[in-house]
Amino acid sequence: MENEEKMMTGEESLRIISEMINKTKFDIRQGSFYLLFWGWLIFTCSLSEYLILRFTDYAHHYYVWFLAIPGVFVSMLYGFVKGRKAKVHTYTGTLYKWIWMGFLISAIVLFIVHSKSMGTVSPYILLLAGFPTFVSGFLIKFKPLIAGGISFWIIALIIYFVGPSFASLGTAVAMLAGYLIPGYMLKNRVDHDAV
Amino acid sequence: MTRFKELDPILHSQLRLAVISLLIGTEAAEFTYIREQTGATAGNLSIQITKLKDAGYIEVTKKFRNNYPQTLCSITTLGREKFTDYVNDLKDYLSPE
Repeated sequence: MENEEKMMTGEESLRIISEMINKTKFDIRQGSFYLLFWGWLIFTCSLSEYLILRFTDYAHHYYVWFLAIPGVFVSMLYGFVKGRKAKVHTYTGTLYKWIWMGFLISAIVLFIVHSKSMGTVSPYILLLAGFPTFVSGFLIKFKPLIAGGISFWIIALIIYFVGPSFASLGTAVAMLAGYLIPGYMLKNRVDHDAV
Repeated sequence: MTRFKELDPILHSQLRLAVISLLIGTEAAEFTYIREQTGATAGNLSIQITKLKDAGYIEVTKKFRNNYPQTLCSITTLGREKFTDYVNDLKDYLSPE
């Protein structure tokens, strides 16, 4: 930037304003880590549970879900390190962070109150997960994520009507549609990387 | 003859306008980030940030992170109002009708 007291024309002022505002837009690719991390983690857990239920008599099939506990810590550590390194905090980024934090807290509470009937918790978790996914899609203007949120709600309804036998497979499909496909599309997006 | 309002002299300077424009869409930004984005020298930026702070347009908070000083800047409500007024006045200049 040149001498600060140099006279500017109206066009120059507008150019500076526009250029600087564009520089502080939220990088939408930041969100892809969580989508891919949780997408793969929950996809692996739900598919493993489905295979255990389908092909074995193992009674403690739900043990696979304990993988989610270190997942919470990895997520929090990643967010903490990223937050500490960030030199700029945008409103969109902050809103994005707290929407997902609210979901995480809601999911933990749901697991606690539902701990005695874990087999039927899947549609409720998908119902909850649909909300931040759907809202985040609008926040970053990314249609695959909006569609992902809607797919969670549809699959939650299907699991509810088909019954718990479809819960594990349905959750795996939901992870593909709601997190993994939008997550990879977001990661590879180069044409419109900020809002 | 159309009479124009005088543009706010605090904002009608390249670097100060760039700083305010950077801060308008953020909750807070580090001094080093503002320097990188504007391409200004540390000394010049420091002088302009002090002018904006003295005018009440921005807030400057000093913290420590990993034992290194960190200067965070954020826009105030007054700064936001003045920026909006500046943009409106600028529109009048560019399209007086």
